[in-house]
Parts: sequence; C-alpha cells; structure tokens
Amino acid sequence: MTTRKLFALLALAAAIGLFVPALPAPAEAKAFTVGIPLPLTGAEAKFGEMEKQAYDMAVDEINAKGGVNGVKLALDIQDSGGKPETATAIVEKFITINKYPIVVGEYTSQCSYAVAGVCEKYNVPYLVVTGAADKITQQGWKNVFRLNPPASLYNLGVFSFFEQVARPKTIAILYENTDFGNSTSKAMKDYCDSHGVYVVLSEGYQAGAVDFKPILQKVKSLRPDIVYMVSYLMDASLLMRQSKELDINPQAFIGGGAGHTLPEFLQNAAEASEYCMSATLWTPQVKYPGAKEFFDNFKKKFNKEADYHGAEAYAAAYVLADTLKRSKAATSDDLRASLAGTDMMTAFGPVKFVSWGQFTNQNKMDTLVLQVVGKKYETVWPSTAASAKFVYPVPRWRERK
Amino acid sequence: MSPQLAGQIELLGQVLISGILLGGLYALIGLGMSLIMGVMKIINLAHGELMMVAMYMTYWAFTLWHVDPYVSLLIVCPLMFLLGVAIQKFLITPVMEAESILPQNQVLLTVGIGLVLANLALLLFTANYRSVPVSYASKTIYWDLKLGGQTISLSISYPFLTAFGIAVLLGAALFLFLGMTDLGRMIRATAQDKRAAALMGINTRKITYITFGIGAALVGAAGALLDPVYYLYPQIGGPFTNKAFVITILGGLGNIPGAVLGGLVLGLAESLGSVYVSLGYKDAFGFIIFVLVLIFLPRGLLGKGRAQ
Repeated sequence: MTTRKLFALLALAAAIGLFVPALPAPAEAKAFTVGIPLPLTGAEAKFGEMEKQAYDMAVDEINAKGGVNGVKLALDIQDSGGKPETATAIVEKFITINKYPIVVGEYTSQCSYAVAGVCEKYNVPYLVVTGAADKITQQGWKNVFRLNPPASLYNLGVFSFFEQVARPKTIAILYENTDFGNSTSKAMKDYCDSHGVYVVLSEGYQAGAVDFKPILQKVKSLRPDIVYMVSYLMDASLLMRQSKELDINPQAFIGGGAGHTLPEFLQNAAEASEYCMSATLWTPQVKYPGAKEFFDNFKKKFNKEADYHGAEAYAAAYVLADTLKRSKAATSDDLRASLAGTDMMTAFGPVKFVSWGQFTNQNKMDTLVLQVVGKKYETVWPSTAASAKFVYPVPRWRERK
Repeated sequence: MSPQLAGQIELLGQVLISGILLGGLYALIGLGMSLIMGVMKIINLAHGELMMVAMYMTYWAFTLWHVDPYVSLLIVCPLMFLLGVAIQKFLITPVMEAESILPQNQVLLTVGIGLVLANLALLLFTANYRSVPVSYASKTIYWDLKLGGQTISLSISYPFLTAFGIAVLLGAALFLFLGMTDLGRMIRATAQDKRAAALMGINTRKITYITFGIGAALVGAAGALLDPVYYLYPQIGGPFTNKAFVITILGGLGNIPGAVLGGLVLGLAESLGSVYVSLGYKDAFGFIIFVLVLIFLPRGLLGKGRAQ
C-alpha cells in the first residue's frame, strides 16, 4: 500500500468517525423516555434549537425535584431536518423499535401533520406543541392533542385590536406558502371579508426570495391601511427592511406570529423592525405563574431570549410530567386517557384539551399583540396584559429619526 | 396623466429597476458556471455552495475584523480562486482522467463536493441564520421624476446598485481578460478544442485549474456582494446552483455574453412575474423560460451553432 492510499484510507476513516454518532449511553434504571422529533438542522433549525433547550431545561427541573412518581424523565430528541418524510421515519422508529408509548413535539405544521398521521396509525398518543395548521386537529384523530392554539385563532388578539382601535378599511396580505402561512392568512382573509375590511392584495410566496421589492411596490401602489405578513425569520426581516427602502407607509405593519416574534428579528431587521406589530401566543410579560421565571432562567442558562416557541416546549414538558403522574401505567392507552384529562396551568398558559366545531382535543387560549417599541418587544394588546401603550398609526419612515 | 396611470408607471419602473439590479448579481453567478462549463464541459453543481463559502468568508471578515463586504472582495476573491484551483487540481482532474463507465462522474463529483461544503458549514457554523448588518443595508436613493404633471418616485437600493456596478466591472474585466490577454486566449482555445489547444503547446491541465479558479472567484464575488442585502445559512447554495444552471442554459453553454444576458433575463422574469402574474410562482418563471429556451433555442439565447 502506498503512503498516498494509506492517507486516503485514514482520511476516510476519520470522516466516517465524524459522522457516526457516539453510541447512546445505557439508560438509567428508572427512566421514562419520550421521543421528540425536532428540526435541528435545515431552515427551521433556529426554532428547533430553542425548543430543544426549553425541553431540556424543563426536564432538568422536573428531575431535580425527584422526577415523576420517582421516575426520571428522559428525552430522545432526534433531528428531522424539518422534512416531513424524515420526521415520519423517526417517529416510526420511536414507536416500533424504541417502543416509546407517547410522542411529543416537532416544529412545522407539515411535519406535525405527518407525525400525527403516523401516531394515529399506531394508536400512540401525540402531543403537538408548535405545528399550528388547523387541519392537524380537524381530522377526528383521537390520539392527537394540541397544546398551542390553531393558526386560525392566532389572530384573535389582532382582531380585537382591529375592532377596538385600528378599524382598518383596507389590508394587504403577504404570506409564506406553507401550511402555517396558508391557515393564518386564510383566517385573516375570512375575518376581513366578513367584517368589511377590503383585502387589496393577498399573495403567497416561496421562502428564500432575495428581493421582495417588486411585490412590495405593488403593495405601496395600493395604499392599504394595514400590511399583514405571515413569515418565518429571515423573510420577515427582508420584508421589513425592503418596506423601509420603498417608503411604504401603512397605518401599521402586523406579523402573524413566527418570524416577527423572534429576538433575531430585532437584530436582523434592525431599525426597520421598529413599531412592527405581531400576533403572538406568549410574551415574557404575561401574567401566568412561572412565565417570568422561565424567561429569566432561560436567559441565564442559554444567554438568549426565549419567545413563545420556547414557552410552548417548556410547558409541553410539564404537561407530559402531569400526564405521566396521573396515568395508571406507562402504556399508550393509559397515557392517552390521562392526557385527555389534562387541566392545568403552565408558564405558557392554561392547558385543557377540548373539542368544538371541527376541532378535537385542542387547547384554547387568548392570544396577544406585541409591538417593537424602542428596539424591544412590548405586549400592547389586550390592554389588560399590556406592558406598554401601542403606537398606532405608526410614524412614516421618512419622518423617523 | 391620471394618478392611476402614474401609479402603474411607477410600479413598472420599480419592477424593472429591481429586476435589472437583481439580474446583475445573477449574471455574476452565472458567468462563473458558464466559464467552467465552456472549458471543462461539466456543469459545476457545487457552484451555489462555493458562493455560500464566500458568503461565510465575508461574514466572518465583517464580524471579526469589521471588514466592509465590498473591501473584503479583495480577500475573498483570491481565496476563492485558490479554493477553485485546489478543487480542480486535487478532485476533479483525477476523476476526469480516470476511465470510467459513467461519463457523468465529474458532475456527480461536484454534487458531492457541494454536499460536503454545505455540511461542513453546518458543522462549523451551525444552522443559524446570519446577516451582515452593514450600516447602509437599507440605504436607498430616491429618484423623483416629473412626468405629465405627476411625480413618479422610484427608489434604488444602494447596496443593490453597488453590487450591480461591481458585477458590471467584473464582467467587463473578464471579457477583456478573455479577449485581450494570452492567458485568456489560451482559455478560449481550450474551450474550443482541448486537443488542438494541447497540440499548439498549451498546458491545458493548467488552464483548467485557472478556469475553475476564476469561476470560483466570480461566484465568490457574487456571494460577497449578496451578503449586505440578503442573509446566509449553510444550505443557501442549492437554490443558487439552480439559478446559475438556468442562466447558463439560457445564455448558451459556455457563452460568456450569453450568461450576462441570461442573468438579466432571469432577474427581470422573476420581478415581472411576481408582480403581474403571481408571487407564489416566482421561481417557476425562470424554469418556464428555461424549458422554452431548451425547446426552441436549444443552444441558448446567444448560442452559436457549432458543427459536431
């Protein structure tokens, strides 16, 4: 063997070594393991990472207090890359090989929906934590429970803001072509149609566009009172930056959650994010017990700010602990029955699974409106939960300092 | 003139400006791929990933040493040139010279290089989105035109305009280099007929190294120029590889002026399509034109017929 070949072999061996994960450590004697698929790579990795940290934090807290009925909680978090087919494969493995009796998590609606289908097939309870498309809890699936409100209810806070303060006459809607974007923007469109707000434009877009200026120029020429956007992180920043460049001046820019609520949005959009509003499910200023502690501890531990995604994951771990505590045995059937009986308060808000209309096993809660004021997120609506007074209508770009 | 008409003209003007400025950047991305295509006769499917590497270089230069992205072109382009030469010398050339069953092996190799680069970036820099928050990121030049009693106000993004200007300069420099210098002539000779060029005493192997290096440097420049207006993450390369591919085919394989035209056509098609048809199908317009060109002008918009 020549030296060159030897080197090649060594390099190959090193490369394989890099990509083969370390063997899992043998599980502790008394641990209850839960399988969680999450996007830890790919475009949604930012959200997946925050949720993983929140799950870990909650489980550490629970275990530090002696676990659940003397049993420690353990998490098996696996990377789905935000791809439904990968998430499906992971959950199939969780159920058939690992024999986990319950599945929690995922981030995007597409992935959550795919995972829900698998869990229903194997009759294993599944707690949806973030996926918000309405259809996930509209299939009559008895194994699927959802902690977060469905996308069509994300806007409730915005609607009441419209009715009591803004009273807009026209609106332009831009949304990312995803399950979440479609559900949220459709709810907004339906509301506007039935409440006499004229929708001047409603356009879906594919993520990853470099330049939104052509469509934004069209928005500008239509002069809507409100520009409503449903976007993930970077598109949200680009939309705001380019709106500023084009000097588009509606009464308010309002986001439909997701990207517009992330701390990174403030950094990336910088001064263009000022006064931008967004629907949100949770802010650190909510008055639920444990919310502020969660936010402070999270910041201390990971040196970054948690948004509602982190709060959802954190609450999900507590819901799981509560379910396990009340469950007769750690089997899928008992856990399902116990999950259905959940009625508790979490840092994210009250959790109780109810069925109404087409929805089954769906948690229902009030949603809020936040606004960027002085480079910080402030809760501005409803006024009972507000941490700052809203700014409406927002100043024109050229009149700002 | 009615205000409505003025509004429509304003919209069209803005769309054309955006399309052309974006097209300039696209052209720069396409140029590198077209050059590589012309000389090596392979589609470099790691092109977008090379751009990603350059974007990270620019990002780190800015974050660590506060080097302005436009200044960092002076560092990024030479580094990308060396990376390109290394890839050609140590990876592609050995595969090109090996006898193999599949003649497309080199193309598969570039796919592999792209995957390695993207995952290496993921490993080193995590999946975080990053952006280069330069002070002029949303600086805009407003251009007010008086037309028939109405004011039409157009806005031109400063970083986009700068990127366009630099792209034009680099394109012109490449054109002069290929047309006027001995090395440029050698590259063109190798592209036309590798064996004949070798017989004329040209070291064609060295020419391929240099060509890949220049291609990588060009797409690296595009990456650096894109940083102030866009964002970056490890998987950003894929969509841009697709765009470069479309541009290269549009312009005619290996045709340098064609790549410039292809970039502008793609930029304009995306802008116009997203406003006058539907934003959701933005990415489809490029591919529709791509398919039409393949059917009706299989040699590309500027492709010259060549006897086989």
